Amino acid sequence: MFTTGAVASLAGTVAYGVLAEGTMGTIGLVSATVALATLAGIVIFTRDANVFADEPDTFDGAAANAARPGASMWPFALGLAVTTMTLGLVTYPAIFILGAILFVAGIAEWILQAWSERASADASHNAEVRSRLAYTAEMPVAAAIGLGIVIYSFSRVMLGVPSKTSTIVAFSIVATIVLILGAIVGAKRSITAPKITALFAVSGVVLIGGGAVSGLNGERHIHEHETTAYIAAKDECGAEKTYADKHASQTVAGKAGNAEVRLTAAGTLVHRKPGDETDRSSALQLPRSNANNLLFRNDSDEERRLVIDLAPDYEGSPPRICTTLVDPGGVQLITVNFAVPSFAPEITDIGGYRFYVPGVSSAELEVVVP
Amino acid sequence: MAIIERPTDTPAVVSPDAAPAVATPATSYGVFRRPVETTGWKSWLFTIDHKKLGIMYGVVAMAFFVIGGIEALLIRLQLAGPDGTVLSADAYNQMFTMHATTMVFLFVMPMAAAFANYMVPLQIGARDVAFPRINAFGFWTFLFGGLFLNTSWILGGAADGGWFMYAPNSSVAFSPTNGVDFWALGLQITGIASLTGAINLIVTVINMRAPGMSLMKVPIFTWMIMVVQFLLLFAIPVITVALFLLMFQRSFDATFFSVEAGADPLLWQHLFWIFGHPEVYIIVLPAFGIVSEVLPVFSKKPLFGYPLVVFSGAAIGFVGWGVWAHHMFASGLGPISVAVFSVATMAIAIPTGVKIINWVMTMWGGKLKFTVPMLYAVGVIVQFTIGGLSGVTHSVAPSDTQQTDTYYIVAHFHYVIFGGAVLGLFSGLYYWWPKMFGKMLNERMGRWNFWLTIIGMNLTFGPMHVLGLQGQPRRMYRWTENRAGEGFFNIGFWNLIASIGSFVLALGVLMFFVNIYVSHRKGTQKAPLDPWDARSLEWITTSPPKEHNFDRTPTVGHLDEFFHRKYEDRGEGDHHDYHQVATAEEIVAEEEAKGDSHIHLPSPSYWPILLSLALPIMAYGVIYNIWLIAGGAALALLSMYGWGMEPHTAPDDDYDPPAAGTELEVAAHG
Amino acid sequence: MSSRTNHDRTISDGSHDAHTLDRVSAVNPRRRRRIPGIAAAIGAAIALSACATDAPQDTWQPVGENAQKIHDLQWPVFLTAGIVGVLVFGLLAVTVLRFRDKGQAMPEQTHGKPVIEYLFIAIPAVILAAIAIPTVGVVMALADTDDTECVINVTGQQWWWEYDYEVEDDGTICGFAPTAAEAAPIVTSGQLVIPADTKVLLRGTSRDVIHSYWIPRLNGKRDMVPGRVHYLRLSSETPGIYAGQCTEFCGLSHANMRMETIVLEPDHFQQWLDNELEPYTSPEEGTLAAAGEATFITQCSRCHQVNGLVDDRGTDDPDDDTLVVSYPDQFVYSGAAPNLTNLMGRNTFAGATFDLLTDECRADVWEADPEVFGERYLAGVTEDCLNEIELREWLRNSPAKKPMYADAEMLTETDGKTRGMPYLALSEDQIDELIAYLLERK
Repeated sequence: MFTTGAVASLAGTVAYGVLAEGTMGTIGLVSATVALATLAGIVIFTRDANVFADEPDTFDGAAANAARPGASMWPFALGLAVTTMTLGLVTYPAIFILGAILFVAGIAEWILQAWSERASADASHNAEVRSRLAYTAEMPVAAAIGLGIVIYSFSRVMLGVPSKTSTIVAFSIVATIVLILGAIVGAKRSITAPKITALFAVSGVVLIGGGAVSGLNGERHIHEHETTAYIAAKDECGAEKTYADKHASQTVAGKAGNAEVRLTAAGTLVHRKPGDETDRSSALQLPRSNANNLLFRNDSDEERRLVIDLAPDYEGSPPRICTTLVDPGGVQLITVNFAVPSFAPEITDIGGYRFYVPGVSSAELEVVVP
Repeated sequence: MAIIERPTDTPAVVSPDAAPAVATPATSYGVFRRPVETTGWKSWLFTIDHKKLGIMYGVVAMAFFVIGGIEALLIRLQLAGPDGTVLSADAYNQMFTMHATTMVFLFVMPMAAAFANYMVPLQIGARDVAFPRINAFGFWTFLFGGLFLNTSWILGGAADGGWFMYAPNSSVAFSPTNGVDFWALGLQITGIASLTGAINLIVTVINMRAPGMSLMKVPIFTWMIMVVQFLLLFAIPVITVALFLLMFQRSFDATFFSVEAGADPLLWQHLFWIFGHPEVYIIVLPAFGIVSEVLPVFSKKPLFGYPLVVFSGAAIGFVGWGVWAHHMFASGLGPISVAVFSVATMAIAIPTGVKIINWVMTMWGGKLKFTVPMLYAVGVIVQFTIGGLSGVTHSVAPSDTQQTDTYYIVAHFHYVIFGGAVLGLFSGLYYWWPKMFGKMLNERMGRWNFWLTIIGMNLTFGPMHVLGLQGQPRRMYRWTENRAGEGFFNIGFWNLIASIGSFVLALGVLMFFVNIYVSHRKGTQKAPLDPWDARSLEWITTSPPKEHNFDRTPTVGHLDEFFHRKYEDRGEGDHHDYHQVATAEEIVAEEEAKGDSHIHLPSPSYWPILLSLALPIMAYGVIYNIWLIAGGAALALLSMYGWGMEPHTAPDDDYDPPAAGTELEVAAHG
Repeated sequence: MSSRTNHDRTISDGSHDAHTLDRVSAVNPRRRRRIPGIAAAIGAAIALSACATDAPQDTWQPVGENAQKIHDLQWPVFLTAGIVGVLVFGLLAVTVLRFRDKGQAMPEQTHGKPVIEYLFIAIPAVILAAIAIPTVGVVMALADTDDTECVINVTGQQWWWEYDYEVEDDGTICGFAPTAAEAAPIVTSGQLVIPADTKVLLRGTSRDVIHSYWIPRLNGKRDMVPGRVHYLRLSSETPGIYAGQCTEFCGLSHANMRMETIVLEPDHFQQWLDNELEPYTSPEEGTLAAAGEATFITQCSRCHQVNGLVDDRGTDDPDDDTLVVSYPDQFVYSGAAPNLTNLMGRNTFAGATFDLLTDECRADVWEADPEVFGERYLAGVTEDCLNEIELREWLRNSPAKKPMYADAEMLTETDGKTRGMPYLALSEDQIDELIAYLLERK
C-alpha cells in the first residue's frame, strides 16, 4: 500500500512538476512523496508487509520472531561516537568529524544487525544475509581506509627523512627487508598463521608509529619549483634566489625549440639554432606572436639568469621575462612570446629587444622580431 | 517485496523443539532475483549466453557499418568533382572523423568480437566464456558507448579532428563544439568494453579448452583471437591514458597539450600511435584467423605450416609494438628514430608475408571448391597483398615523406582494412552463417555480393593510389582544378572513378542484406549439419548450437578434430587413401546420446546492462552537468551492488512453466 | 651542377622515363637515358600510376635535389613491390586454376615441409634487407644540413604560411646583398621565393596547431609543430613555381591552406630582394589608391602589416605622423595576419587558396619556360591581370569564401578572437579603394 502510494505519488509529483513548472504545489507533493517513501521504507524494513498483524498465529509463529538477539558492539560504538563528537566540539573540528563518521557507521551497522537477526530463525542464515549485504560495502571501505593509512604513514616517514638521498636509502632498506621477510615466509611452508599475523601487526605498528612521529615532526624543507611565467609575474628577474626543476629543460621538446642561448665562460651571449651547429653572436631572429621555446645554458662559473625586456603596454605581455637562476653548467627553458615586432616605436624606444644577464654587463644578445 | 525475504519454504509454525528453518540462498534475496526468460526481448536484454551476445555484437556492428558507409558515401559525393558543395567544410571534417572512428571502433572491432564471442567457446569445446556476465557487460558497454558517440550528431556536431585527433587541434580553442568530448568519452567507454572482453577471452582460451586440446591443437581462428586479446589488453590502457589527458585538457582546463604552457604536442602522437599501430593488427588478425579457417576447409587440406602461422601471428603481435613511429615519419623525430622505425617496419612485413605464402601453399595441391566464403578468402589474399606491398613502399621513410597524409595512404590502408579485415569478416559470415542461424546464405546472391564488393572496392580505392601519388592530400573537404593536372592521370577523373566505385561497393554490401532476406524467407531449407565438410570443433554440435553448446564436452586428439572423426586414412606408407567413416549427423547423434547428465549454466542477469547504462550517463555528466556524473555513479554503484548480491541461478519455481524435467532444467542448472 | 650529374648517373634504369619522356613538363626539362628491356617494361607498368602530365603536386616528377634522392630510392622499391606482387598473384592464379576440384582424390593431410617455410621467410627477409640499407643512407642524407646557404623561417598558422628571411651575419639575405637599402628581415606569406642553385634551410614552427610543409617536387613533407622547430631542406636548379599544400590536418579550412615555392635565377632573386626592401611610397594624393590607404589604416592595419606605412591623417605636421604597427593579438587567436607590404608581388592570396591573377595571366606565369619564368613572375599583378572577382568576393565576406571561425558562437572559446579574417562589412566604395591601394603594393 505504502509502496504503491510512494511510486504513484512520485509519478504524480513529476508529472505535476513538469506541467505546472514547479510551483508551491510541487513542494507539497514532494513532501508527500518523501513521507510515503519513508513509510514504505519502514514497512519493507520491518517486513511488516509479509506478516499480517491481524493473524496472531501466523504472526507469533513467524520465523523472525523465534530469533534471539545476539551480542552487539554497536551500542558501545555509538556511545563512543557521541563522546568523541562532544569532545570534538570543545577541541578540534577533526575529532568531531571522526566522531560523526563513527556515529553514522555505528548506526548503519546497528540497523543492519538488528534487521538481519530477524531475517529467519536460522542464525547461520541470518549471518550470511548480513554479510552478503554488508561486505559489499564494508570490504571496499575497509580496504580503502587500510591502504590509506599505510600510504599516508609511509609518505609521512619518507617526507620526514631529512634529505632526498636518505629517502632513497631508507626506501631501499625497507624494500629489502620486506623482500627478505616475504622470501622467508614463502620458503617456510610450516610457518603458522599467528606468526604471520604477529609479523603484520608489528610492521603495522612500526609503520603507523613511524608515520605519526614523522607527521608530528613535520616535513623536511622542499623547494618550490618555479616556472619562468611565475617569476615573470612576480618580476623576480634580479639577483633573487629562485629554484627551478632542472629536469624540465631536458625534454625533447625543449631541445627541439627555437634556439639555445648560451652564456659563455668569457661572459658573452651566443646563440645556436637547430640545423646550424655553430655559435653566433649576431642578432637572433624569432617569429612574433609565437611561443618561442629557448634553452638558456649557463657556461659561466656563477649562478646566472637570462632576462629580456618586452613591450610593457600590451595585453597579456609581462614587462620582462626571465629564467630562474641557473647553476654553472645548467640549462633552463624559457618561453618568450613577442607581441609586437622590433620596429614598433615602443620597442625602438627601449633600444630593441635584447637578452641580457644581470651581473654580466658584456652579455647582450640582440633579438630581431620581424 | 522485501529487500531480503523471509524463506518461504520454512514451516509457518515453529515449535521450540523443531529444527530451525533452513533457508536456501536462492530464495532469500527478493530483489536480487535473476531473470529467467528464454524467449522474447527480455531474453536478449538480460542474456549472458555468449552466442546471443555474439549475434547482438554482429547486428550492432552491421548497423554501425551502414552508418559508417553512409558517411563514406557522403565523403565520396563531396569529392566527386572540384569544389564540392554537398558538405560544408565543418560537416566534411566531422564526416571523415566519424567515418574512421565508426568503422574502426564500432564496426571492425565489434564484428571481430562477434565472431570471437560466438566461435571461440565452440571451437575450444567450452559451454560459455569464463565470465559470462562480464561478457554481457562488454557488449552493452560497447553499444552504449557507440550510441553515445553518435548522439553527438544531434547535440551540436560530431568530433572534427580526424580519428587520430592530433593535439593541439583537439583543444577547445580549435574545436569549440562538444564533438571531441563525445569522441573522447565515447571511445573511453568502448575501450572498457574491449578491455573486459580481452580479459574474458584470454581466460577462456587458456582455462576452458576441451580435454586433449593443447595449445598447438587450438584452431587457428581462436589463436589469432587470443593474440588480438593480448594486443587489446596492452593497447587499450595506452589510449585510455591519452583520452583521459584529452578529457582533462578539454573539460577541466588541464595543459597537457598547451604549447604556451610548455607542452609538447608530439606526446599525443606517441600515445595515440603506440595504441594505434597495434590497433591495426587488432583489426586485421581476426580476419586472418577466419581466412586461415576457411582456406583449409575448401582446400580439403590442413593449414600449411600451422605452427608458423601461429608464431607469425604472435610475432606480429610483438613486433607490432615497435613500429608506431612510422606514422610519424614526417613529424620531425630526427633521422636516427626515423631510420630505426623504418627498418623495424620492414621487419614486420616478414611475418605478414609468411601468412600470405602459407595461405597460397595451403591451397597448393588441394581440392579447391570456390564457395562464397572461399571466394572472400581468396579475395583477402589478393587485396591484402596489394595493401601489404604498398605498405612496404612507405616503410621506406623518405618515400613515406612524399606519401604520408596523401590519398596513397588512404588507398593503402583501405586495401589492408577493407581488403584484409572486412573481406575476411564477410568470409566468416558466409562460412559460419549456417552454424549460427541454421540456414545457408544463398550462394548465387553471395556471388553477386562478392563480385560487386570486389569491383567496387578496387574502383574506389585503386584510383586513390593515383590520387595520392599525384599529390592530393587527405582530409581536404574540396579539391581544386588548379591542382588537378591534365591527361590520363588528372585528379578529377580518378576522383570521379573513386566516387562511382564507392556506390558500386555500397551496392555490393547491400547485396549482403538482400541475401539475408532471400535466405531467410519462408520455405528456405534448413542448413545441413555440416554443409562445408568442415574440420573444427564448432561443427560437432547442432546448428544453431543448443544453449549449452555441447551435450558432452568433446575430447580432442587432433588439430582438425572433426575431420579426423569423419575420415580415416587407409593408405599405407606414403600413399594416402581417405575414407569417410562417419557423417556429421552420426557424430552429433552419438554426442547427444552420451550427453552429460549435469550441465550447469548461470542464469541471465539484470546488472550488466544497468551497469553499462551508468557509463554514458556519467559521460554526459562530464560534458553537460557535473551532477549527472553523481547520478551515473550512483547507478553504477547500485548495479555493482546488485551484481555482487544476486544468486548464482534463478530458483526452479521462477521459471514459467516451472523447470522440472524439461530441457530447460538441463540448460539452466540441471 | 655536380649534384645533377650525379643524379643522372644514379638513374640507371629508364623505366620511369620511357613513359614520361614525351611529357616532361616545361619546368622539368631533364634528359634521361633510356634503357630498353623487360625491367623497363615492368617498371613502366608500375610507374604508370605515378607519372602523369601536369598535376602540380605529382610526387613522381622530382625537381629538387632532395626530392630526387627520394625518387631514386623509391622507384626501385615500387618496382620490387610490383615484381613481388606479380609473382604472388601468378602463383595464386596457377594454384586456383590447377587445383580446382575436378573430382581428384582427397589430398594428403599434411602441414607442409619446414624447408619450404624457411625459404619463404628467407626470401622476403633478404629483399627487405636490400631495401633497408639504402633507406637508412637516404634518411641520413636528407637530414644533412651542413652546407646550408640560406636560412628562412617558416611559421604555420590557421590557414596560411608566413616566411621571414634571416639576415646573415655578413649582412646578406641568402647570400645576396641588397643593392640600395640595408638588409632587413623580410616577411612574406603564401609564396616562398628562393634563389635557384641554393641550399635553402627552412626552419619551421607553428603558432597554433600542427601544419605540414610540403612541396612534392622539391622535398618530402615536414610537420611544423608549435613549440618546436623542425627543418627542411629545399633546393632546385630549375626556376619555376612549385605547388604545395599543408598536409597535416589543421582544422576547419585545412583544404584551403596551400603554398608555393618560387625558384628564381640569382639575378631575378636579387631583383626580388631589392624590391622587397624598397621603402614604402604612399599613393599619389587625390587618387582612389590614396583613399584606399586611409581605408586600409582604419579597416585593415590592426591585423595586416604594411611596412613603412605611416598614419598622417588629420595633421600637416610630419612629426605627428605615427608608424602603423599592426597588433593582431587583440583580434586574431594565433596573433598574426599576412604581411601585405608586397601583396601584388605574389600571385596568390588567402593562404595561396585563391589566385590574384586571372586564368590567362596565371597560365602565363605558371606554365612559363624556366628561362622566361623569372621575368613574368617579377612583373607581379598588373591591373589587367588582377583576378578582381575573387579579390572582391574576399573583401566583401571572407568567411563565406574560405571557411574560418568567424561567427560569434564559435568565438567564445577563443575569447572572441577570430581565426582567419572576419567579416568586415566593407562598403563597395571601400572595396574599390582598397583594391586600388593594394594594386600598388608590389
